[in-house]
Amino acid sequence: MRRALGAGLGLALYALVVLVPLVWVLVGSLKTGSEVFSNPWGLPASPQWQNYADAWSQAGISRYFLNSVVATVGTLLVLIPIGAMAAYVFAKYTFWGSKGLFGMFLAGMMFPNFLVAVPLFLLMSEFGLLDTMIGLVLVYVSYSLSFTVFVLTGFFQRLPNELMEAAMLDGCGHGRTFWRVMFPLARPGVLVVAVFNAIGLWNEYPLALVLLSRDENRTLPLGLADVVLRTEYQANWGTLFAGLVIVMLPVMAVYWVFKDKIHEVMLAGAVKG
Amino acid sequence: MKQVSRRAFIAAFMAPSVLLYALFLVWPLLQAFNDSRYQWSGVSTTRTDIGLRNFETLFRSDAFWQSLRNSGWVLVFGGLSLVALGVGIAHLLQHSGRFARFLRGVFLFPQVVSLVAVAIIWKFLYNPSFGLIGAGAAVWGGDVAPAGLLGTSVTALPSVTAAFVWWALGFYVMLFLAGLRSVPSEVNEAAELDGAQGWRRFRLVTWPMLWSVKRVAVAYVVINVVNLFALVFLMTRGGDPDRATEVVLTYLYELGFENGTFGLASAQAVVVFVLTMAVTALVLFWFRHDPEGARS
Repeated sequence: MRRALGAGLGLALYALVVLVPLVWVLVGSLKTGSEVFSNPWGLPASPQWQNYADAWSQAGISRYFLNSVVATVGTLLVLIPIGAMAAYVFAKYTFWGSKGLFGMFLAGMMFPNFLVAVPLFLLMSEFGLLDTMIGLVLVYVSYSLSFTVFVLTGFFQRLPNELMEAAMLDGCGHGRTFWRVMFPLARPGVLVVAVFNAIGLWNEYPLALVLLSRDENRTLPLGLADVVLRTEYQANWGTLFAGLVIVMLPVMAVYWVFKDKIHEVMLAGAVKG
Repeated sequence: MKQVSRRAFIAAFMAPSVLLYALFLVWPLLQAFNDSRYQWSGVSTTRTDIGLRNFETLFRSDAFWQSLRNSGWVLVFGGLSLVALGVGIAHLLQHSGRFARFLRGVFLFPQVVSLVAVAIIWKFLYNPSFGLIGAGAAVWGGDVAPAGLLGTSVTALPSVTAAFVWWALGFYVMLFLAGLRSVPSEVNEAAELDGAQGWRRFRLVTWPMLWSVKRVAVAYVVINVVNLFALVFLMTRGGDPDRATEVVLTYLYELGFENGTFGLASAQAVVVFVLTMAVTALVLFWFRHDPEGARS
């Protein structure tokens, strides 16, 4: 009994350590700029909903929000079909070099991507893709492939071969078998992988920092970081806190809906890595 | 005919992924090795082949060694904290059943919010005039320098590491929880019968059984630490005060994108890449096998 109490206390303490900073931002987003200073621990005298309107319009966050949506959705629209196609081939076909190729994709999961930032920057500038959404999306797709191909290969491996063979006997070619039978069957897995990728893409910062420069192209993390780095803006903390909430809330909500599935996918990725 | 269509299908389905992966990831990596030979500044098209001189310059630079030392410091102390706290909290969580799923969800919150948000939040928490930690330390009689914990060179790196641990810990809790749950119940029952209790039981029974999870965990610690960028870049403007928090990737950013010395930056990336490989291989070798497992 005493041990259970101790465990509960320890867990509650850790939960507080996780939640207090997040709640602090939430509460801070409803304070006036001077209240953040004069009363950092307390509740706001009257909630400043205006902060959200200010952040949305004045701080340019609406633009960044839209760019983030475009970058995330655009990446998924390319990534999911091509990643699923490669994963399906890895799962159901063997060909010369297939093991080595799969290993190469796998290695990308443990590779610190940012190390190639300089050559990548030069390559993108050669192609004229620097500071473009298309360029960002292509890079995001490439850097998300490792994880996507790895997890989806696992899903396709678990689908029985009999279904595939039956479709082929019915006269479907390899491609039709995939699009008509196997891909729809893998849909639950594909959805989780898409959500997991979306969270990472929504939050991505270092590559966007290097590849984008014009303000009109900035994604949400980039725009928000810029607001903080520009000291002039630091006068109004309340608005900044509201901006933070705008970045964090969508992913936290999506994550909470899918959390058990996401944990599975994270562990699947981890145990192999 | 059948054979040809099978081959064509495989090629067509693999091509988009392989091409993008090769073009935007593998090619730049190979290019980094090549670029490290050149003295090459900014956007100018002229570059001179200077052989290994970039590596020489790098090895003579104090900032380079400082960034390696700092990353190493985070690796050791951040890594130890992640493993110790991860195992400890997973252990507490192990028996709490239905509530565990909810808590595990909460513990992963820091991982799903952008590191940019994490950096900004922690910068505020450490703010000497209104931050919870800054203000809190003063309330409890702590002596915080006017520059704050992040502005003082002795406390800056530990403070950034604390934020890093806060961000990453949930994942390690989840990992170790999965590991603890995979320990066969016979093992726990046998330990029970032998009267092994508490710390003794943990040290002699549970900890050795976790070997495969420990292996994954240390590999992840290495990758997480090498990847550390946004936190430092935004919390201490990429290495302040006086490079006390400079880590390998913020230094790479400085060389490549602030100074525009592409050749030197590529050389640094090559060194960090090789070091990362070496450290990963070393920890995987170190945790290669369960010493107890050999007996069973």
